[in-house]
Amino acid sequence: MEVKAVAFVRKAHEALHNPRLQEALRRTEAKFVQGRREALRHLEDPDAVRRHATAIRDTVLRQLDAWLIHFERQAQARGATVHWAEDGREVARILTDIARRHGVRKAVKSKSMVSEEVGLNAALEAAGVQVVETDLGEYILQLAEEPPSHIVAPVLHKTRDEIADLFARHHGRPRKTDIAALTREAREFLRPHFLSADMGISGANFLVAETGSVLIVTNEGNGRLATTLPRVHVAITGIEKVVPTLEDAATLLRLLPRSATGQDITNYVSLLTGTKQAGDGDGPEHFHIILLDNGRSRLLGSELEPILRCIRCGACMNHCPVYQSVGGHAYGCVYPGPMGSILTPLLAGLERATPLPNASTLCGRCAEVCPVNIPLADLLRELRHVQQVRGLRPRLETLSLRLWRALVLRPRLYHAVMGMVAWLLTRLAGARGRLCRLPGAAGWFAHRDLPAPAGETFLAAWARRRGKP
Amino acid sequence: MSARERILARLAAGRRDDTPVAARVENPVRGPATPHCTDPARRFTERARQLASTVARVADFSAVPVEVARYLDAEGLPRRLAAWPEFAKLAWQAVGIEAVFRPAGADDPVGLTGVFAAIGETGTLMVTSGEGTPATTSLLPETHIAVVPVQRLVPTLEDAFALLRREAAIWPRAVNLISGPSRTADIEQTVTLGAHGPYRVHIILVGL
Amino acid sequence: MPAGQTCCGQPAYNSGDFETSRTIARKWAQDFAGCDYVVVPSGSCAGMIRVHYPRLFAESDTQGEAVRQLAARTWELTAFLVEVAGLSQPPGWYQGKITYHDSCSGLRELMVKTAPRTLLARMPGLVLEEMYGCETCCGFGGTFAVKFGEISSHLADNKCAAIHATGAQAVVAGDLGCLLHIEGRLRRLGDTTTQVLHVAEVLAGRQGEVAWK
Repeated sequence: MEVKAVAFVRKAHEALHNPRLQEALRRTEAKFVQGRREALRHLEDPDAVRRHATAIRDTVLRQLDAWLIHFERQAQARGATVHWAEDGREVARILTDIARRHGVRKAVKSKSMVSEEVGLNAALEAAGVQVVETDLGEYILQLAEEPPSHIVAPVLHKTRDEIADLFARHHGRPRKTDIAALTREAREFLRPHFLSADMGISGANFLVAETGSVLIVTNEGNGRLATTLPRVHVAITGIEKVVPTLEDAATLLRLLPRSATGQDITNYVSLLTGTKQAGDGDGPEHFHIILLDNGRSRLLGSELEPILRCIRCGACMNHCPVYQSVGGHAYGCVYPGPMGSILTPLLAGLERATPLPNASTLCGRCAEVCPVNIPLADLLRELRHVQQVRGLRPRLETLSLRLWRALVLRPRLYHAVMGMVAWLLTRLAGARGRLCRLPGAAGWFAHRDLPAPAGETFLAAWARRRGKP
Repeated sequence: MSARERILARLAAGRRDDTPVAARVENPVRGPATPHCTDPARRFTERARQLASTVARVADFSAVPVEVARYLDAEGLPRRLAAWPEFAKLAWQAVGIEAVFRPAGADDPVGLTGVFAAIGETGTLMVTSGEGTPATTSLLPETHIAVVPVQRLVPTLEDAFALLRREAAIWPRAVNLISGPSRTADIEQTVTLGAHGPYRVHIILVGL
Repeated sequence: MPAGQTCCGQPAYNSGDFETSRTIARKWAQDFAGCDYVVVPSGSCAGMIRVHYPRLFAESDTQGEAVRQLAARTWELTAFLVEVAGLSQPPGWYQGKITYHDSCSGLRELMVKTAPRTLLARMPGLVLEEMYGCETCCGFGGTFAVKFGEISSHLADNKCAAIHATGAQAVVAGDLGCLLHIEGRLRRLGDTTTQVLHVAEVLAGRQGEVAWK
């Protein structure tokens, strides 16, 4: 999995100084945060639905193997071929094999985060298959050769002018900036691809074990087109996506669109089971389902297991003050924001994503809004703990904490040192009552003054005042 | 050892529950749902309109062609459509509509379908694949007209699934839930109707 | 006021050093042993003790039991004043408009939201106007303020703008980390007039001033 997380601070800097991105982030925040709040009001007891959804996810994770086996059996009974892949390389091998076997020249793709995770497009193109992204946002990214910046709103970092430029360059039509016109142009350009593609590739929001079905949610209709018209359909997703029954899927569907975009339901929900039957006028002749592990199985039974409950709604990042300041690209990986800061190090390796668990104030807003109650702030802290145990924390921090600990455990020394610091800072602050710089403390003073303390510690003042009425 | 075996072995190590999964599958549990309403047709209509579909109501099937003609004229659309075969017996020619009964193609301006069920909670149409219910008819044309008998209105998605379990001899290859015209908000988070699917959805409720 | 108290250990905890946190928690339990209540004028310290200390110890840990029991009797200041002490009339005096910043730990770990507002509402002459995003993180986050200084500062800017938009004379909160960070940024931005006050200073002071000497 491609990860460029170590450049987080530099990319955050660029993002903070990008006024168009800042404007886009402000716009999405208002829309998604308010949207979610209003949509949840349509439920009589949203917290009860969330608790039930959490229970469904935990039920599955407690015996994930059994549920996947049940799903596999049901899917196969309907003519689907189920493949298991340990990592991205295996996915690439399976997919190119499928493409070769069925003589695939062109594939249309409906949005799939897992396909990004494993760099699927590149692998297929290397095998001589033309891959066309059909989700409008992903199509725009394909033209721009950029990665998505949000799991639900992949091009929130682009303005309509930038998109107009892209279309004018690639479509050879007169440049237009009206959003409806741009959308229509994309529809006209992509429609022929749907009709001529040999293979449709999709993700799966859920795998329903009861019926052996793949469940996909979209708003645009490209998901339906990509999985109905071509003769081969390949669905690829993570092993943790399985849910037991249709009722369970219905509960999760009550929360996913509301948490993601503030919709009560997405435009299209497709429940796809097996291959074209006798009597079906349409549908794929061949249906392949690829189940990807890529490190997920290792999380079961660990402190970090709850991250596997994630249903990829994006609510955590929509509400995260850090994500809302810098956008998704700063994280340098497929999954940004709070859930991404946990999942990425776990799947790609802690050493490749060291800043991510630390790029958080642990404010806890993410956990507050997660539809499946993942304790995201606690998991971020747990990752910091794993870093500490493995010696991946910054040396300066480790030494400072050791010094701090030595003081904290020695009250008399602690109070003497604190008293001196309080006195010194007050003297340095002087009449202004604040300091603007201190040697060695550029991290603080680059952006802030430091208000003067009260000249002594509280305990010293308290001891002095004892006995006074 | 295959990838499947390796993955399952790792998963087995993390298993904490040996209850046979069939137990839960055979006794599905419903989660908390929105409260039932006394007038599902009204709730369906409200929600569907919120999603930018238009909704009309007629007393019986014989009135459908007239309503379709009215709608097409009001929208400035040609009186031509591709419909599911179950509508072949309606009086299309009498109202000047040229109707063909084959799966819609990309060039058909209007697709007319029935539904398996309609869901009041969210104003959603449930359409299933199968003989006589081609999926392209609700997907390829720019306008989709759906004929919904009020007896097929159910309160929640769970009710629709339960109905499908009861009535379907074989579980359909595709169950599609349709909630309004296709849309995207990818460009500047501004909602635009008419992405890859239909631009317009008109729903005709049939029955009193 | 146990004289041997030093620190709740949150900096170590949030840096992932759970072992140090445990050691500090045990010391804390000894320092405060025998108290009926432990009252903390800080949402983050109170949250650390009440919510996180118990998690640091396994069920079977007997030393942990002392920590757990004492943690259950630990209260954030305003919550204590409202729910235990039943303070009907704060002794302080304040004239003018203030706005209140909800510190993340107090709000999300301890559910402190109405307690400070209830107390402040009992002060005649004090008007509270809520700022936009009063529950949004100020950007301090402990070492985050230094490690990710630009983002921290950006979040502080948002907070300062929200404070200014209310026209309040003072911003009030229950956590010193937030107050230090917000005041630091306000002053750096050139605002030398907005008061930055701990809620205790408002509840017991004269126009937020507390006599020390």
